[in-house]
Amino acid sequence: MSQSLVHAPQARSWRDIPQPVKPRVMSRGGRWRLAASLARVLAFVAVVIVVAWGAWEVIAALRANPSNMPAAARTVPVKNFVLKTNADGVLDAAWLRSALGLPKGATLMELDLQQLRARLLADGQVSVASLTRNFPDTLEVRIAERAPVARLQAQFGDGAERTLLVARDGAVFPGHGYDTARIETLPWLAGFKLARAGGRFAPIEGVNVAADLLAHAQLDTPHLYAAWQVVSLARLASDREIEVQTKTGTTVVFGAEGDFAVQLAKLDFQLELLAKATAPVAKINLALGREVPVSFVAPLAAASNTTASAAKPAKTAPAPFISLFPNSQSQTKREL
Amino acid sequence: MSSSTTFIGAVEIGTSKTTVLVGEHNGRELAIIGRGECQSRGVIKGSVVDYKAASECAHAALEQAERDAGERIDLVFLAQTGAHLEGFYNEASVSVKAADNMIDADDIRTVCDLARSKELPAGRMVVHNIRRPFRVDGRLVPGTPEHLVGQRLEVGYWTVHGQEQRLADNIHVIRGFNLEVRELVLASLASGHMITSPEERQHGVLAIDLGAGTTDYALYRDGAAHTTGVVSVGGTHLTNDLSIGLRLTENQAEKLKLRFGRANVVTKDKAQKVWLDGNFAIGDRQFSQQVIEQITAARAVELLEVVKKKLGNAFTPETCASGVVLTGGTAKLGGLAETAARVFGVPAHLGETPTWVSENLRDPGYHTSLGLLYYGVAAQAEKNTGVRRRGGFLTGMKRLFANA
Repeated sequence: MSQSLVHAPQARSWRDIPQPVKPRVMSRGGRWRLAASLARVLAFVAVVIVVAWGAWEVIAALRANPSNMPAAARTVPVKNFVLKTNADGVLDAAWLRSALGLPKGATLMELDLQQLRARLLADGQVSVASLTRNFPDTLEVRIAERAPVARLQAQFGDGAERTLLVARDGAVFPGHGYDTARIETLPWLAGFKLARAGGRFAPIEGVNVAADLLAHAQLDTPHLYAAWQVVSLARLASDREIEVQTKTGTTVVFGAEGDFAVQLAKLDFQLELLAKATAPVAKINLALGREVPVSFVAPLAAASNTTASAAKPAKTAPAPFISLFPNSQSQTKREL
Repeated sequence: MSSSTTFIGAVEIGTSKTTVLVGEHNGRELAIIGRGECQSRGVIKGSVVDYKAASECAHAALEQAERDAGERIDLVFLAQTGAHLEGFYNEASVSVKAADNMIDADDIRTVCDLARSKELPAGRMVVHNIRRPFRVDGRLVPGTPEHLVGQRLEVGYWTVHGQEQRLADNIHVIRGFNLEVRELVLASLASGHMITSPEERQHGVLAIDLGAGTTDYALYRDGAAHTTGVVSVGGTHLTNDLSIGLRLTENQAEKLKLRFGRANVVTKDKAQKVWLDGNFAIGDRQFSQQVIEQITAARAVELLEVVKKKLGNAFTPETCASGVVLTGGTAKLGGLAETAARVFGVPAHLGETPTWVSENLRDPGYHTSLGLLYYGVAAQAEKNTGVRRRGGFLTGMKRLFANA
C-alpha cells in the first residue's frame, strides 16, 4: 500500500469545541467587551464610508471645477479620442474628431463637456452622448446612434438636393458612415412637411407608425418590402392610413390602426391571386378590414403603358421632392 | 505600540486561586506587563463546578490584569488540569519509500499521522499530542529525520485527552469575557517548561507541580515531555488531614500548615508545642509540633508515592538523571525536596524562577502562568514556522469581525 494513500482517522481535538457563546451567558465585562468590539467594527466601517465619500466628493469637485486641478494635469493636450457606440453603430473616431472640432493643443481641462455634448447631439444621428475626461490625455465619448428607417430628399437654400435619413422617432439626419447599398434599400418618405426648429430639422410626426409597418414588412415579407419605393404619411393624420407606392406603380393602402402583420399577409395573398390578372393593379386598399378592394389600371392606359414600357427601359419612380425654402425656389413639388 | 503586538493573557483557574498574567508579545520578545489574581470559587480539583462563581472570579482577575497592564487582552492561553485528564502512548513505524532510503517529508507526515490516529472513547478530546523523538532503524534522532538515510522510521506520541464537557466549561468561562482561547496548555507542561532547563529535559527530569487541589507532573526525556499526569490530591488534603487530626477548622488547619507543616519530621521533642494563633487570646491553643509534622509528612510522602506509582516504568533513576524539580504553592512545604529525593531516589530541589522574572512574580505559585505564556508563545511560533502569512489585512479584518 502506498504511504501517500494512508488516511489515518484523527481524534477530536479541544479546538473542535465551539467557542462562541451567547451574550446572555457573558458577564458584564464580557458584554462590555463585546459592545466595544462591535463599536470598533462600526467605527471602522464608518471611517471607510467617510473616506470613500470624501474621495467621491473630491473627484466630483474636481470634475465640476477644473481650476482646482493640479497645473500638471491641465497642461497635457488631448491625444486620444475613445468612441464607444452601440453594436450596430457606424460612427468612428474620425467622425468624432470632426464633429467635436477641437482646437489643436486643447487640454482636457479646457474642454467644455456640455458644449461638446450639445455639438454631438446636434448631428441627429446621435441620440445619447456622454463625455468623460480620462486623465491625463484621453477623452472618452459614449454615444447611442439612431438607426434609419427611411430616406428623403430635400433641397437646401443653395439649391443643392441632398438625401437625408429618418429615424424611428422622426429625427432627420444626414447619415454619416452608412454603406450606400444599405441606404438604397430604404424607401422614400413622403407626405409630410419638413421644417426647421432651432437650427436643425424638426422631428417628423408619425414616422414611428410607418417604421412599425416597415419593420414588419422587412421581417415577414421581405420580397414585398424590396418592391416598396415610397411611403407616404399624407393621409396618416386625417384617415389613419399609410400609402405605399411600389416600383410597379401600385399603391397599397395600410390602415394605421390595424395589425400590420395581418395586412401584409392579406397583401401577399392578394398579389398571388392577382398575378394572373391581365390588367395591372392600380391600388389595393387594406385599410377596410375584411374587404380588400382592388382597382385596376384602365385598359387603354394599361396598353399605352405597356407600349411605353416596351419602347424604353423600365424606370423607377422618382424620389419625392421636398423644398425647404418654397419662397426662394420654384413652387415645384412633386406629388405622389 | 506596534500594530503587530499581541497582548496575551495567561490564565490559570486553580482550586485555590485564579491567576492571570498579561504578556506583550511583539513577535520576538515577550514582556510581562500585568497581573491579576482572585481567590477561586466554584472550582474543585481543577474542574469548574459552579459556572457563575468561577466566571465571576476569573473575570475579576482578567479585569484586574487588564487594568494593571493598561491594555486590552487579545487572546488567552489557558492552563488545563484536573483528574479527568489522561494520557496514553501510541507509536507507529513506516518503511522509507524512496529507493535510495532517504527519508522525505511524506514519510515523516505519514508516520506522524499514523501515530496520532488512535481513536478516543466517546466524549473525550485531545488536549495535547506530544511527540517523542524520531527513531531511524532504532537510532534516536533528536531533530527532524528528513534527508537521513534508513529503512524504517518510527515515532511515538504521548496523547493527553480530557473530558469534553470539562474542557468546554473552562473555555466557556473565558469566552464569557469575550476572549478567544488560542491555546490550551497542560498545567504540568507549562510549569515544567518554566522550572526546568533544556539541559535538564535532555538528561531526564521530573517536574511536579503541587497545587491546592491537584498535583500535576511531567516527566521529560531526550529533551521532550515523555509522560504527563494529574493526581487529584493537593495541598488542601494536607489541610484536611490536619483539620481532622487536630480537630480544627479548615482556616485554622491551613494556618498551622503554612506555619509549621513539613514534608518530613525534624522535631525530635514530642513536648515541643506551638501556638495556634500566638496571640494568647481566648481560643488560642497549643499543639505538638511533631504531631503536625507527622500528619503533613505522611500525606506528602503518600502524595509523592502516588505520583511515582502512576509513572510506573516510565520513571527510573537512570532515566531521570537531573532528578525531581518541585513547584506550586504546596512545594513551599518545608522538607519537601528531601522527602521527594528519598521517595524517588534521585536528587530533588525546588524549582527556581529564572532571574529575568521580576521580583514580584518569583513565587512558585506563578510558575504555571509564566510557563503558560512562554510555552504558548513557543507553541504558536512552532505552528507558524514555515507557514507563509497571507492576506494580512484580510486576516486582520476577519479577526476583527470574528471577535465582534
